[in-house]
Amino acid sequence: MKKLILLIFILLYNLSFPNLKVVATTSVIYDLVKEIGKDKVTIDYIARGDQDPHFVEVLPSYMVKLRNADILFKIGMGLEMWVDQLIDGSRNDKLLIVDLSTDINKKEVPNFKPDASYGDVHPYGNPHYWLDPENVKVMAKEIYENLSSKDNNNADHYKKNYDDFIKKLNDKIAEWDKKMAKLKDNSFIFFHASWTYFADRYGIKIAGYVEPKPGISPSPSHNAELVNLIKSKKIKTILMENYYSDSAPNQLSELTGIKVIKVPTAVYGIKGIDTYIQMMDYIVNQLLKV
Amino acid sequence: MKKVLSLFFIIIIFKSGYSQSSINPDISLIGTFNTYTNFINGTPEYGKLNFATPEMELFVDGYLNPFARATANIAYEEGEFAVEELYANIVRGLPFDLQLKAGKYLVGFGKINTIHTHAWFFLERPLFHQVFFSPDGFNEVGASLSYLLPTGDLYSNLEVGVYNGQSIQMLVDTNAVERGINPIFVGRLNSFFNISDYTNLEVGLSASYGCYSKAMLNSEGDINAAMEEKPLNYLYSGIDFKYKYSPDSYSAITIQGEAIINHRDALREGNFGVDRNIDEIQKISNFGGFIYADYKFEKQFGIGVKYDYTAGIVDDEPTLTTLMNDDKNNTQGIEGWISYYPVEETTALRFGVQHLMFKYHDGTERDGETIMKLQLLFSLGPHKAHPF
Repeated sequence: MKKLILLIFILLYNLSFPNLKVVATTSVIYDLVKEIGKDKVTIDYIARGDQDPHFVEVLPSYMVKLRNADILFKIGMGLEMWVDQLIDGSRNDKLLIVDLSTDINKKEVPNFKPDASYGDVHPYGNPHYWLDPENVKVMAKEIYENLSSKDNNNADHYKKNYDDFIKKLNDKIAEWDKKMAKLKDNSFIFFHASWTYFADRYGIKIAGYVEPKPGISPSPSHNAELVNLIKSKKIKTILMENYYSDSAPNQLSELTGIKVIKVPTAVYGIKGIDTYIQMMDYIVNQLLKV
Repeated sequence: MKKVLSLFFIIIIFKSGYSQSSINPDISLIGTFNTYTNFINGTPEYGKLNFATPEMELFVDGYLNPFARATANIAYEEGEFAVEELYANIVRGLPFDLQLKAGKYLVGFGKINTIHTHAWFFLERPLFHQVFFSPDGFNEVGASLSYLLPTGDLYSNLEVGVYNGQSIQMLVDTNAVERGINPIFVGRLNSFFNISDYTNLEVGLSASYGCYSKAMLNSEGDINAAMEEKPLNYLYSGIDFKYKYSPDSYSAITIQGEAIINHRDALREGNFGVDRNIDEIQKISNFGGFIYADYKFEKQFGIGVKYDYTAGIVDDEPTLTTLMNDDKNNTQGIEGWISYYPVEETTALRFGVQHLMFKYHDGTERDGETIMKLQLLFSLGPHKAHPF
């Protein structure tokens, strides 16, 4: 009888109950936490992959997601202006909030007093750093360290998963570097200023943006300027996030013949993109088709 | 009061000399400029282009500490400053995850009342607000507790509050007596449903109970008898919903409605002869409500329509007697609007038309009234969007 009770205890102890409840503000972070936490965490995310992460409506259901969470991982740098209301609404006073931008080498940090006349300039710099896969290593490290610190019993589990992921990512980075080398020094037009880190990583030149200023909708006068730019510099591609309207880029395409490429910049941004690596594969392969 | 407001502005101006830092509160300003004309017989504005005094709301908002926030909203309307809202909100750390809000603020009766007017799609306040609350809505001094019900993944919130009842006391009547210290009670239960990734629904039930006035009554029918002071109580019950379908950030359909059922004591004068005027308290029941639909398209445009119904006449100064007739008189309104947001939602240009129709139980004839309004609205600073 004693042996049976002991066996039940051992079985119960070893049952893989998730230890940590984690919420990610974006689906890219969600994927990284899934890679590192695997079965030791329950993980959910807020901004849909096909949604502009700048503008997420504050839904009460998101507050419920955060209510019993242990950790909230966010991109930071002012991307998720909506998250404070969710945190307050959750009433969770034990929530650990981790800003993954802490150790990121930040770009486009304004050296002036930013105001609305510059458009939606983020005062802490451009927050779209996950489009450089080297930065994803920094994010993964931060996630690994926080999961381990919060759930020390499973630190080895997280370490192994983290190492596996970094190895997998390094292999893909080498592959993407090789593929993207073909596009080095090419000029592109982008829709929004999401691509600074991506362009810098692969030596792509940013010739201009469809938005006249960050976050400001395209205008006819700006489109006219872009037509001249495209023709004079013989630019062949507009790369844009798939949650923006392609109406203005298509107009440019009709006038100049420039090719418009719409890609997801988050996991689940389109059907079939279920991981960060798949997302980057998709972006790289779409660009190489041009 | 003016000194306090002056001091407040001096502090704001002084602070603005420094850059905003993480320890400073957020300061935002909402400006509204209305031009309008009406087609109301006998009014000087009839058919003319009128410019209303610009209105302003100044919000100061921030964390007091890791557990609490505070908000002030100073409004400038019709040429006067007023403290529209001033409250502290303990958002976490209380037992049972309660949230405590105390001060002066828009009470959670229905959904639309808690949303600042600049964030409404429509331009004109719902008619039943004007009859059953005050021209500024249900804005009270008091305190409330809110509790997130343990309903798993379903968001359900219960809020109960006690207030001083200043929005409810609205009688102009010689028989009315100062209602004194008679707190009113307000509660709301609301639930939120994710129907799909792009479709959401919120439903709510509200109630409010209290004494809205006191009256001196002669219930004996004896003109020499001493008048009795009697409380006149009310019970409001409300239901509300909001449905939104938003397939992307460029378009959305919102349908929202609210209804209120009003049970209240009203004064009835029974005349049983020269010497027998008997005042009686009579229970009356009536209702009001609105429903609207707004369609946002191409990110920058919106178009919508709202239908309003309320018992009572919206611009009446209610007396104990007219309240008795509230179950017989009514006002209906139909409002349409188009909105244009040139750059994000920091600037809005809106044009709205509302037509009102009145019905009196005694056969009084009153022409319908139409008002047309062109509004420029701007938002300066980090004023946060209202939750769903």
